[in-house]
Amino acid sequence: MSALIEFRDVCKYYVMGDTTVKAADHINLKIEKGEFVAIVGQSGSGKSTCMNIIGCLDVPTSGEYYLDGQNVGQMHKDQLAEIRNRMLGFIFQQYNLLPKLDLLENVEVPLMYAGVSRTERRQRATEALERVGLGDKLRHKPTELSGGQQQRVSIARALVGKPFVILADEPTGALDSRTGREVLAMLQQLHKEGNTIVLITHDNSIAAQAERIIRLEDGRVVYDGDAHAPEATVHPKEGGAV
Amino acid sequence: MNLLETFKLALRNIAASKMRTFLTMLGIIIGVMAVIVIVGLGNGMETYMRDSFASLGTNSLSVVIMGRGSTRSVSVDEMYEIVDENPDCLQYLSPSVTLSPSVHIGTKNYTATTKTGVSEDFFAMKGYEIAQGRGLQYMDIADRKNVCVVGNYVNQMYFANQAVGQTLRIGSLKLTIVGVMEQQADDMEEGGTDDCVYLPYSTAAQFARMGSITNYTVTVTSEEQAAEGKKVLTDALYGIFHDEDAYLVVSMAEMLDILTSVIGIVITVLAIIAGISLLVGGIGIMNIMLVSVTERTREIGIRKALGAKESVILRQFVLEAATTSALGGALGIILGYALCRVATVVVSALTDAALTVVPAPASVLMAVGISVGIGILFGYLPAKKAARLNPIDALRYE
Repeated sequence: MSALIEFRDVCKYYVMGDTTVKAADHINLKIEKGEFVAIVGQSGSGKSTCMNIIGCLDVPTSGEYYLDGQNVGQMHKDQLAEIRNRMLGFIFQQYNLLPKLDLLENVEVPLMYAGVSRTERRQRATEALERVGLGDKLRHKPTELSGGQQQRVSIARALVGKPFVILADEPTGALDSRTGREVLAMLQQLHKEGNTIVLITHDNSIAAQAERIIRLEDGRVVYDGDAHAPEATVHPKEGGAV
Repeated sequence: MNLLETFKLALRNIAASKMRTFLTMLGIIIGVMAVIVIVGLGNGMETYMRDSFASLGTNSLSVVIMGRGSTRSVSVDEMYEIVDENPDCLQYLSPSVTLSPSVHIGTKNYTATTKTGVSEDFFAMKGYEIAQGRGLQYMDIADRKNVCVVGNYVNQMYFANQAVGQTLRIGSLKLTIVGVMEQQADDMEEGGTDDCVYLPYSTAAQFARMGSITNYTVTVTSEEQAAEGKKVLTDALYGIFHDEDAYLVVSMAEMLDILTSVIGIVITVLAIIAGISLLVGGIGIMNIMLVSVTERTREIGIRKALGAKESVILRQFVLEAATTSALGGALGIILGYALCRVATVVVSALTDAALTVVPAPASVLMAVGISVGIGILFGYLPAKKAARLNPIDALRYE
């Protein structure tokens, strides 16, 4: 069986004036179904580019990206939108909830674009919110909630479409350490339930929550393996100096 | 996401910024209102004119004889001959002699009453019915009898509905009233259609010491024959005078057509000017939609990340613009109708003309079509911009 996510020589170049920035330089990686992977790197290491490509928000300059066996690297924008809708669940650092909608409506948005009927939408969104412990706040606006609660709404929104992959981009970045731990615990729980989770972070201690770490530097993979092996937590400066 | 949901979303976004939406719509509201009122005014004017002309008779021709010096004129008998020779297009003839001295009844003087010398056919020509007594007859004309028929206003106001058999004077001319006309206007007034005295033209011409009669009214057998009738009369008069400047034949139907088309042109020009404000309104909508797209860049990014296709975003913004302008259009129609009523009262008060400003359904429909069309047209560009936003950039937008 092929991997759920597979990068084959994925490159992403940005031309800035005279210089070409290699944000992704021949990245090869495979993520299997049910894994909990952290992609770690300092800013500028290419982890955001990597996450954008995995999330089908961007396409590689060259190389191939297979998601569940489909080559999504060269798909049309509308097809990518559909892939994002059906196969991916996003959790953002800034939560990215729609402030004018209440929690229920926020969680319903992906289902709405998937064409799910109103009653089913309502039911599934309610279930997802109950699962993250916000079943009593369905009609609240996001601004009435704390940061941790908002992030739980965004987790509910990521879950509701039953995606193949949950993509969490610095999910604890805007939270204090205690609520951050709660959110991470929730991701752990989702992983135990069989979800594939890709966590993007610059923070080694957060990356250590995953079972596997992929470390990026200057657009290249410098480590890929067990999260608890000693090499996994190498200080980035030392790793990059070789 | 179906159309109804997109529409609800548009309504929500509009409701979220009521003041801004109202100001955006203002251009459309004023434009639609102006178009409706102007076209309504045009309709009113046309109806009013048609009615006025109908009372003059759109099937009548007016003939004015200027003569050629004093050498050659045309007699009443010659005029009758022309009419009799062309029975397929010409029907009745009546000379028309207007007298200027005022009417005296008892010791009172009435200046507003119209006094006209006519033939026995005049009442049939105009469709006037005699309510009391009799109309003018051939013998009255032939014998230059001192008789007259009065309008109902004279009968009611000056003779307490007992006019038949009484006398009145025009200057020094003493006339016996032999008949009273049926009331013509809905509301009788001094100087109106019902404030009149008709006497035999022969009597009037003699009293006025008029050698030859210069004004005639001729009716045609039907309105369609007006042009033909005019041609026949013109040809016959040219045969007598050999000079185009010696006579004038005016067809009421023709005059009505000319006036109608003039009003039509004026109204069209005014409506186009009003339409320009619709265009300005559309640009206002485009402007505010562009602002809205910029403000909602992040929202667009989130929606795209969650799976919204370009077409869905495009539809959302176009629908929002179209809804805004359609709402403006609806308000414009309501205000337009209200203003038409106000205009009816104001115009009637200012001009004494019973002019009704009637909104034309076609113009209302057009205004709605244009306002929705403008919404779609001017909403498309900002919507396209929104749909094309790169989700990564949009998500990062602060």
